[in-house]
Amino acid sequence: MYTQKVLEHFRNPHNFGSMENPTAVGQVGNLACGDVMKLYLKIDKNKKGEDYIQDIKFETLGCAAAIATSSIVTDLAKNKTLTEALKIKNEDIIKALDDLPAVKIHCSLLAADALDEAIYEFYQKTNQPISPELEKLHHRITVCQTRLNH
Amino acid sequence: MNLSTKSRYGLRALTNLLDQDCCCSIKQISKKEHISSDYLEKIFAKLKKAGLLKVERGACGGYSLSRDPKKITLGEVINALEKPEFICPDFCDCQSKSVWQKIQSGFSHVLNSITLDQLAVSKNKSVYLDYAASTPVDPEVLNTMLPYFDFSFCGNTMSLHQMGSVASQVVESCRQSFANILKVQSSEIIFTGSATESNNTVLKGIAFANKNKGKHIIISSIEHDCVLNSAKWLETQGFEISQISVDKFGLLNLDELKKTIRPDTILVSIIHGNNEIGTIQDLASIGQICHDRGVYFHTDASQSFTKTDIDLSKLNVDLLTASSHKIYGPKGAALLYIKTGTKITPLLHGGGHEFGLRSSTVNLPAVVGFTKAAEIAIKNFDQENKKLCELRDYLIKNILKSISDSHLNGHPTKRLSNNINISFTRVEGESLLLELDFYGIAVSTGSACSSASLELSHVLLAIGLKPEQSHGSLRFSLGRFTTKSEVDYLLKVLPQVVNKFRQISPFKS
Repeated sequence: MYTQKVLEHFRNPHNFGSMENPTAVGQVGNLACGDVMKLYLKIDKNKKGEDYIQDIKFETLGCAAAIATSSIVTDLAKNKTLTEALKIKNEDIIKALDDLPAVKIHCSLLAADALDEAIYEFYQKTNQPISPELEKLHHRITVCQTRLNH
Repeated sequence: MNLSTKSRYGLRALTNLLDQDCCCSIKQISKKEHISSDYLEKIFAKLKKAGLLKVERGACGGYSLSRDPKKITLGEVINALEKPEFICPDFCDCQSKSVWQKIQSGFSHVLNSITLDQLAVSKNKSVYLDYAASTPVDPEVLNTMLPYFDFSFCGNTMSLHQMGSVASQVVESCRQSFANILKVQSSEIIFTGSATESNNTVLKGIAFANKNKGKHIIISSIEHDCVLNSAKWLETQGFEISQISVDKFGLLNLDELKKTIRPDTILVSIIHGNNEIGTIQDLASIGQICHDRGVYFHTDASQSFTKTDIDLSKLNVDLLTASSHKIYGPKGAALLYIKTGTKITPLLHGGGHEFGLRSSTVNLPAVVGFTKAAEIAIKNFDQENKKLCELRDYLIKNILKSISDSHLNGHPTKRLSNNINISFTRVEGESLLLELDFYGIAVSTGSACSSASLELSHVLLAIGLKPEQSHGSLRFSLGRFTTKSEVDYLLKVLPQVVNKFRQISPFKS
């Protein structure tokens, strides 16, 4: 049911593990549902002075699809500026994995959410303006989370 | 440095000789590994010269390892086949020479520290530990079945001619065989196509035949989906369903059963040996409770039949389901025991086969196979279940010992001889299942992520597991062809698999 690409990332995930002194962290999902994803970002300025993801790591508890989407999202986001990283949508994750079974689409959403949450946290910490879209995303993710946790 | 073809093929060929006392001919290995036998011959001659292989003559002859694979290193094998050379040749006297020498000695050190037996883990082995899902057909069963595909048995059991009557006689003798095993009358056994069909027949057949008495049906909270979903469907038809809870071991709450039975209760259906957690219910007590209150009692014995002693002459059981493909018979055959006098409506209407209770041309070869499978299992009952229980308890003990935060689901002693169900916290079952599959080990999980509906196992929730515990559960089910070395292979692989996903997880302890 999984594509070769999913199985590859599942068996040999890229960029997994925790990070010392991350600039920002995004955690989504919950234990009761069986999927929890945590992304660590190290954010720095590039030559143009833009914020970019210099390093990224993940820790995930979940099924093969959850591990594969976490792994691929770290590949997709690494070395991107935050503006570029925010453009990574769950469709891009699915495409990069050559497809996901219908029942596992939510895993790709989770991975995209984790990235958005980490960037949101960074903007908030550094008192940077947050776009209405990101604010909306953050609101949706937290509402979802609270509902699941109760 | 590259390994030459010789070394690669040599190592691959040797992995076929890892099992102790294994003696293989060049022809066998050549066929399995797709290596030409001439080439293998040359490789084996060198390995033999180096004292790594010995030849045995005779009918069962062939090559075998001359020493324990734990005592043969990869370095020895590779050195026997080629001299690994590094880029800087001897005559070169450049400044980097000492670096190359260090690399060379480093490689030798690594190769000399890996022994042949370590290749066994990565070798593509196949270990089937999902016998509760389905079993392979026993070769003896298959041989018994084959003649029944023949022209002489092609008749429909309902036909009046000779060939029909021959087929009919065979089916009747099969029926008698099951009657002897279960200690009932042969007219009380009907053959069906699956345990799912038997269970559907009971729930729907009893419901519709007895609706004048009442519309209340009782099941347990740990039934197989075919009972659970039949009951749910009956709810849409105006029947009322009660589910009796179980304790943390999966044993039915008998007091709750007594309190739940009402004057309009028509059926109690309780699974005998649970398919997920293996807990075995006390049929005598449940039967007595139902009998005292005049309610039909059905049990789904798909998992327990031939794994526990079921003597229906001593039990108050009115209906019982058993299945062929769980006991090394073919798929597509099952039975339903219906006590004489039980009011039941058939599910399938038609030509009136099986005493009018299951119209459909009887699947003669499958019924013959099912019967043979049951006879073999009953004949070897003590010996086989003793072996299974020993392997089961050995596996449980060692998994719990070698993997932290793991615990057994189901009852420690009142459990099927072949069932092991264990939860591992902080990991998810589907990941474990797929990773084990890469090692060639087939198991099953109660994790929601692996099911099409993404719903958690209702059985694990019923015994009080928290969702996060049930996500990380695995079921290992053993069988007739399971060996101690297969179980040991699982014990070797499982800790590293669980550990791998705990490393990736954000929850470390």
